[in-house]
Amino acid sequence: MFLRLLFESFRRQKRRKSIAFLAIALGMSIATAMIAVAAGIGDKISQELRSTGANLVITPIEDTLDVNLGGVNLKPASSGAYVAESELPKLKGIFWGHNILGFVPSLTAPVTVTKNGKNTLVDLHSTQAANAELIGTYFAQPLHYGKQDFVTGARSVNPWWQVEGEWPHDYAEWPANQPPEVLVGKKVAAESGLSPGDEVEIAGKNLRVSGVLNTGGSEDQAIVAPLHIVQQLLGRPNAVDRVAVSALTKPEDAFGRRDPSKMTPAMRDRWYCSPYANSIAFQIREALPNVRVEQVRQVEQNQGKILTRISGLMLLLTLAALLASVLAVSAAMAATILERRQEVGLMKSMGASNTSVASLFLTEAGLLALAGGMAGFLGGAALARYIGSSIFGSSIEVHPVVLALILCAALVVTFAGSAGAVRKATQFDPAVVLRGDA
Amino acid sequence: MSRRQLFLRLLVKAAWVRKDRALTALLSVTVVATIATAALTVYSDLDNKLSHEFRSFGANVVVSKQGGALTRDELSRIDSTLAARHLIVPVAYAIANGPNGARVVVGGTDVKAFRDLNSSWSVRDTGHHGTQVLMGSRAAEAFSRQGEAVKVSFNARQATLQPEGIFSSGTDDDSRIYLDQNEFSALTGVEPNTALVRVEGRPQEIEAAINTLRSSLPGLEIKPVRQITLAQTAVVSKTRAVVLAASAVIVTLIMLCMMVTLTSSVLERRKDFAVMKALGASNKTVNLLFTAEAALLAVAGAAAGFILGSGIAFWIGRANFDAAIFPQPGLLLPVFAGSMALALLASTAPLRILQRIQPAGILRGE
Repeated sequence: MFLRLLFESFRRQKRRKSIAFLAIALGMSIATAMIAVAAGIGDKISQELRSTGANLVITPIEDTLDVNLGGVNLKPASSGAYVAESELPKLKGIFWGHNILGFVPSLTAPVTVTKNGKNTLVDLHSTQAANAELIGTYFAQPLHYGKQDFVTGARSVNPWWQVEGEWPHDYAEWPANQPPEVLVGKKVAAESGLSPGDEVEIAGKNLRVSGVLNTGGSEDQAIVAPLHIVQQLLGRPNAVDRVAVSALTKPEDAFGRRDPSKMTPAMRDRWYCSPYANSIAFQIREALPNVRVEQVRQVEQNQGKILTRISGLMLLLTLAALLASVLAVSAAMAATILERRQEVGLMKSMGASNTSVASLFLTEAGLLALAGGMAGFLGGAALARYIGSSIFGSSIEVHPVVLALILCAALVVTFAGSAGAVRKATQFDPAVVLRGDA
Repeated sequence: MSRRQLFLRLLVKAAWVRKDRALTALLSVTVVATIATAALTVYSDLDNKLSHEFRSFGANVVVSKQGGALTRDELSRIDSTLAARHLIVPVAYAIANGPNGARVVVGGTDVKAFRDLNSSWSVRDTGHHGTQVLMGSRAAEAFSRQGEAVKVSFNARQATLQPEGIFSSGTDDDSRIYLDQNEFSALTGVEPNTALVRVEGRPQEIEAAINTLRSSLPGLEIKPVRQITLAQTAVVSKTRAVVLAASAVIVTLIMLCMMVTLTSSVLERRKDFAVMKALGASNKTVNLLFTAEAALLAVAGAAAGFILGSGIAFWIGRANFDAAIFPQPGLLLPVFAGSMALALLASTAPLRILQRIQPAGILRGE
């Protein structure tokens, strides 16, 4: 009898049922979409913030002080220690290797750029004061670690570097047929009149300018060449004096700032397995001995601050949206049940108890909630994916756990919305309701 | 009883007799208006609030002069040209010799303003307050591990620098020592040729400020710190887009959901409708009655929703940005118009269906 009532109620009241279903599905798709967006936005914005550049810097530990003045590092190339370039792919092998988005090694030497008639000479060991830097770096260097192949370099890690002309190739060897390509900084180009296609002479060797580099930073006053070319020019194979690392990190909190040497083993494990800048730095020091790893505080500290603000905002908006969809679903349920007073009156006059009326209505509500919640979840997931791909160019995936959450929420919300209305409907005197006086 | 009195009576009684139905409808409109107001108010102030967070990135413009020091006049020109809130910190650099003859870059500046500008650096106190000397962590490692005083010499002159703090920045600054400009000039005779400028504001305001600086001070080199302005533009615009998209989704879906509820509650009143028609009311009169009801509902709901929504936005600002987001009077009209459209559409659309049916059929219960 109960099942028959239930079945007929769905079969005969298609309009009412579809209205309730629609309301639940809409409410739950808002909830799904907002939860997914709020959960995914941290990662997306943190990717955007990576355009502020590297957040960790590796330098050799027994290095002497930098003597950087007016954008030119005057520390001679011969002083100081080096990091071995061949060790760098190990960065991908640390515990949080997947969070290392890229790294840019560099080898720098002060140089003097002079003009000699039509030729531009770059002197590595001039007696005059240096007026520029020679920087060797990766542009888009393919590397592999274990079974992983990846490409890293300035083009991806420093997105604000703009090149007029062509980016140079990352040569593995000194090219045999034609002179290797280099970039000249904007200021150097302006002072020496160099433009793409011209040649410069560095330490007796000719190099071709492939483009003019504009960064708004110290590189404007530099000649930027492929790392292996600079290593050969300076006679320092495998040497790198600085590595800028761009890593996805978790904003630092009180726990992340603590000193790992003073932690209990369990806490230390938790600290080690969280992608804080400090714990990633710690793991890099484990992988590459004799290096100093510093967080670029301007980037790292502020990134956390901004991420917290944005996720906080999304969380509050999600709460407001959830509240609104709860109210919307409850109102819809209340409206559809209050309209069925006559039905309640009829059932009660034929001897149905309040409990059996309520259980019929609540079962109906439960079925609707499950169906609506499911449909809402699918709709919401599609919406979240669309928002992700249209704004960030990568979709926002919904965690399957959210489905369980949404189904529970749908049940709770529809029951809450129905309960009051059912109570009210059963309180009326059936005779009055059936007469049509209520 | 005049026609007008009857009309008003029908209007009031319809709401009064079936309070639950009227309340459900009112609640529906209020919820839509509230969430729309809250989301749009937050959206309209978002670039301001987020841009404010970017001030802690430090200087976003660097002004420098080739061959010579920045004059007092030029500095005050920068100050007067910038309309937005800003902080200007002139800095001078020179290479001095440290205790063991090692070369070290020394900077002269207003130390307090410099610390304020670079608020993200971590500074370890040495216990010597007010000495106006800040030492980078790598310089400290080389010369002053315990934060003790350091002797530096420049040409023939010497100075003893007692750091008040040792900072860590992760940049080249870690190899430098900063001291008060007056003391610095006494030691080196060098005046600032660089000014670090932090311009506060939205990305487009910063862009405009840079352009005005360039045109009013043609002799100086004015460089934006590109990675910061780039990140600010990207983050602010993408966050705005997300909030806008999310708000659009929420408002549209809630609106649809509410419309469904409202429509069904009007359809439930087909008996009222049939009785009125049977008593001789014209289609026009019935439409007018239902429309007036809807309009009343919309006005009440929109007013309540605007107040509630502005309150929620204000609270979100307080809770998340530590600065209130104030109500936007400009949203009043769209919210009222939107609620009105929602209520009218939801209540008049079903009437058209009802008008096709004979009143007698409805009254018989078909």
